[in-house]
This record gives sequence, C-alpha cells and structure tokens, in this order.
Amino acid sequence: MGKKVGIVAGSISRFDNPRHTLQEEMCAEAVKMILDDVPDLELGDFIKKGYACCYSYFSDILEQQQCMHWIINDYLGLSGVPSYRVESGGATPIDAIVNAALWIRSGMFPVVLVVGWEKMDELPIQKVNEAIAIAGDTDWDFVSGFTYNAFYATMEARRMHVYGETEEDLAEVSVLCHNNSLENPYAQWPAQHGFSKITVEDVYKSRLISWPYRLYECAMTSEGASALLLANEETTKKLTDNPVWISGVGFGSDTMRAGDRPDNPAWKGLYPEDENIWPKHVPKPMSPYPDLQNFGALRVSARMAYKDAGIKDPRKEISFVEIFDPYAGVVLAGLEDFDFCKRGEGKNMLREGIIQRHGELPCQLSGALTAQGHAVGSTSIAQVVDSYWQLSNQIGKKWGAPGRQLNNPKKAFIHGHGGTGCQAGAVVLEV
Amino acid sequence: MKQPGPEKVLKQLPHDEKCWEEWERKGGWRPEGWKIVEMNDGPTLNDLKPEKFLIVHRPHGSMFHHSYGKVSQFFIGLLEGKLYGTKCSKCGLVYCPPRAHCFNPKCRLVETKWVELPKRGEVHSYTIMAIAWPSMAHLQPLVGVMVRIEGTNTCLPMTMRDIDPEKVNIGLKVNINISKQPKGDLLDVYATPAEEPVAPKRSPEELKRFREDMEKTRAWVKKTFGPK
Ligand SMILES: [Zn+2]
Repeated sequence: MGKKVGIVAGSISRFDNPRHTLQEEMCAEAVKMILDDVPDLELGDFIKKGYACCYSYFSDILEQQQCMHWIINDYLGLSGVPSYRVESGGATPIDAIVNAALWIRSGMFPVVLVVGWEKMDELPIQKVNEAIAIAGDTDWDFVSGFTYNAFYATMEARRMHVYGETEEDLAEVSVLCHNNSLENPYAQWPAQHGFSKITVEDVYKSRLISWPYRLYECAMTSEGASALLLANEETTKKLTDNPVWISGVGFGSDTMRAGDRPDNPAWKGLYPEDENIWPKHVPKPMSPYPDLQNFGALRVSARMAYKDAGIKDPRKEISFVEIFDPYAGVVLAGLEDFDFCKRGEGKNMLREGIIQRHGELPCQLSGALTAQGHAVGSTSIAQVVDSYWQLSNQIGKKWGAPGRQLNNPKKAFIHGHGGTGCQAGAVVLEV
Repeated sequence: MKQPGPEKVLKQLPHDEKCWEEWERKGGWRPEGWKIVEMNDGPTLNDLKPEKFLIVHRPHGSMFHHSYGKVSQFFIGLLEGKLYGTKCSKCGLVYCPPRAHCFNPKCRLVETKWVELPKRGEVHSYTIMAIAWPSMAHLQPLVGVMVRIEGTNTCLPMTMRDIDPEKVNIGLKVNINISKQPKGDLLDVYATPAEEPVAPKRSPEELKRFREDMEKTRAWVKKTFGPK
C-alpha cells in the first residue's frame, strides 16, 4: 500500500465569536464547500465505496453535549458511514488529521473526510476558561489558583529568564500574526476589529492577562468549522488535478503537569545537544530539556514527521510554517523544538525578520490562534487548509487576496498541541 | 475472595446536601429566559447575510463526590497542617504532587512511600495574574509561582502572598504555608517569601508599563469589590 495521502479539498466556515450558527450548520457549510470543489464526490457513495469520516472537537462541556459528532454525522446525511471522534485537547484537530492519514495509509479506507468544529460562546467567559482549564489536572493544576494563561505565562517567564526573550519579542509575534490575518476572510480578528494593521504599541495597550502575556498575545475563543478531504494516491489523482500531499505525520506526548518536567527521568539524555545549551546563571535541572522553556512533545512529533517525510534539513526544505500558538511565546519555542534553529534562538529568527510574511521562512500566514481564531476542534484543520491553499496556488481565489500567494512554495509544516504541551501532532505537506 | 466494602467513614465534614439538591433541581435545563437577535453570518467575510437567531438561557449543574485515591494522604496532611510527598525507594525521586506509583521508566511502576516534606522551596517560575479565577478576582494582581519544594523533583503550582508583584523572581526562596482553615484542596497551600526578594531586570519602559498594569488591576479590584 502506497504511503502517499493526498489532500483533495479543504474548507473553512469562518472563525468568530459569537457565530450563533449551530455546529452542524457550520460543518455543513464547510462540507458543502468541499462538495462544490469536488463535483465527483457524492456523500451517498461513502458507504458504498468504503469511505470514512474522522471528527474533531474538543469539549463536551462547552455546550453540555456529549457525542456531538453523532449529530454532525447525522446532519451531513452520512448514516452508516464508519466514523469516530478524536479528542486530545488543543491537539484534537491535528491528531484527527494524523489519524485520518494513518487510516488511509493502512489501506483500510481510500477516502477519509475530516471535519472539525467548536462552539465556545454558550457559557460565560470565566466558565469557558474553566472548561478549557479542566483539560489540566483538576486535582493538581486547575485548583492551584492557576488559569491556563498562568501556566503558559510561567513557561514564558522562564524563557525570558533563561534565553533572554523580551516583552517586545512577544508583542512582535502578536503584531506579525494579527497583520497576517487582515486579508483572511475566515479570520476572527478582522471580523471584529477591522482591517487596519496593528503595532507593538497596540499590543502593549491591550490589557494584561497574566504577566508577561497580554490580551493580544493570547488565543481568541472562537466558533467555526473546517474540513479536509483526504484520499489515497490513486483516488486523489482521480478526484483532483491539483493535489497536495501529506508526506509526513508525527505525534508525541509529555507529562500532564508542566511542573513535573524539569527532573522528568523520561526526557533525560534524549536530546543531549539541547541539554548542553544552558546558561551559567541558571541552575541546571536533572532533565534540562525541555524543562518549562521548551515543548518535548513538539520535538518528538516534528522529528517523527520529518523522518516520515524524508526531510533532512527542515530549515532549508520547508517553505512556510503554521505553529499552533495559544500564546505568542509558543511561536518562538516552536521554532526551536521543530529544529528551525537552536534552543534559545527562536527570538533571533523573529528579530531578523526570517518568519515575517516576506521572510525566508514565513510563519503564521493565516494569523493563527491569536488572529485567525481558535475554535479548538477546527483550529489546526483550518491551518492545514490555509497551507493547502498556499501550496496548491489557490489562496488568491479562496481568500480573495491574490497578493497573499507565496511564490512557488514546495513544503509546509503545520503543528498542533494540547494542554501545556501534553500532546502534540505535526504534518508535512508538499506539492 | 473477600468483598471490599462497605466503606467506613473515619471522619467527615458533611456538606449541605439539601442546598445542593435544590441547586441541582434548579439547574434543570428548562430555559429561564430567551432573546431573538439578528446578526450577519456566512462561511466567509466575503459572504455575509442577515440571519435571525433564538438564544435561550438554559442552566445546569451538579455536586461531584471525588476521591483523591491513593494520594489522599497529601490532602489529609493539609487538613492536619502538614506537607507530604511520595518517594520512590528504587530511584529516590521525590514527588509533590505525589504519585502512588513511580513514573521513572526504570522503576516499572513500583509503589512509592510517603515522606513528610519541609515547608520550604524555591521559585522555578512565576507569573502575575491580572485575571484570576472569579473566586480569587479580589486578590488581583495575584502572584502565581511554580515551587520546587526542598528535596523534591517536581514543581507545585501555588499562589504567593506578602510580596510586591514587581519583586517576584526565579530562584526566590519561599516558605510554604497551609491555610488555617483548610478545605482539602491545593488552594490550601500558598507561598510567602523566605528572603528579601530581588526583582528581575526590567528596562525603564518595561517597569513603567508593569507599574501601570498593576495600578489598573488594583483600580479595577477597588472599583469592583470596594476598598479593603
Ligand atoms: Zn523510581
């Protein structure tokens, strides 16, 4: 069985809060766009041809509905079709894609439709935060008085202490993401705040959430849906003449609680080159990598995906990157954990303009979580869809923004993760 | 074979069952109100049209009866004003949060033993919450610290009192305190400085912004909850 998994089509029903539209309706909007793009695809054929569906949503609590995917499957008219839901916190949508790709590679299914969504507006915002926070350990994390914002903030405070990152670096990441989103018709930031560029000063004016993080440096809470139609090589070629391939997938994990990482014996010695990058002024824990500064799960998932895709030098071979950035500092950490630079040097890639839209390695072209939005179960699927449109030369048409098409990109890397990096997934796309 | 039960209650602080039962009945899913709204919607910002939506206000909630399992001793310790962790006698790792089984892959999930811990530690990292949980909003700006308790191989997250948020820093030695009226969860534990804190380096602009942020946060608390 061939290893190649093709993306036949992708779609997004835009991110906003509130959307008021039901999950199943947003999913139908997304799947309808796929049907428009692939005239030969018939939902009625799924059961006959042995196709499957993989559903992605994070929380049963946000709308007090368990098994929401049964409603979606029903609403799309897919009765009988083999399907199930993948759930792993923030990693849910990337894991759904990885899962679907592995289904296809197993030879079991020629085609898998991935659909992801989230509704986050029903509860008061503090209860939404609570519903997200109980993805942390409810005996040991959540009841410590820490919000999720606070956990990520402690991780960033340590990056500042150990690597010398600054508040300005975080604000610059935020500016990059927001300004990248301004031509994205699926993005929440422009839907709510208009189409003008923001500056570092605007970020500083946004309210402090949990030092060092300010409002514009944190993911939005969003509603939205997205879908991807994946297929094996033969079927992909039948259904589209403009395919993009998922050439590599990976996933990894870490401790539930971030606080258990500095001396975690499971990490010790795994990445000696990273353990050796350590400043003299900070006492070295037993397992210096990842400690709180980096994300071991991201490293494991990325190296697995690179190996799977035959990538030797990610910095040279990857054309652009979408990082799952619930907080601005994760972009900088991610660049390191994904081997685009050495540990502690993520800030240099930012400062040198490398990850800017016109830089050598553009990052967060969609605007990502702080600007495109973060309807959890949809987030990474939408980031993969945006990247697929870039690689298949469709962004001009799909966004209505021809100026945003990169010149001949070859490969993209998209990652997602959940918790404080408790679980992560990654995919490599190529033309 | 032997039956494991019934459970024997050794000691208890009963909860007001009546009150919560009533609350559970109240949270019975029936709408308490509604509104009809009009808003533009559509799958992209290039494709919006007005839509009408009915929104119902629908409550539900419940009381959970949660066991702390084999790490209950930690919380029993808090009720008695003591701090406990677990130690693996095979590899020597000390856990707080405790684990009943050692997670060092070499130890093959061997059971750990309880050890009493000193009420001292060091800040591994920190944050200042300008938005805390609603129940703690009156304490904003609230310092949160990841504390490595002396002799442990873990960090325990907790809040910190009696410190100027400007001064909290990595490496600060702290005392661990247990609330005088412990309720039996992690919030019973908090840190206070054990030495004169040394503020992290901040540029003049950063310091100015930091102080303004603290000022704004305190002003909001004062406006919302009244002066202390
Ligand atoms: Zn052990």
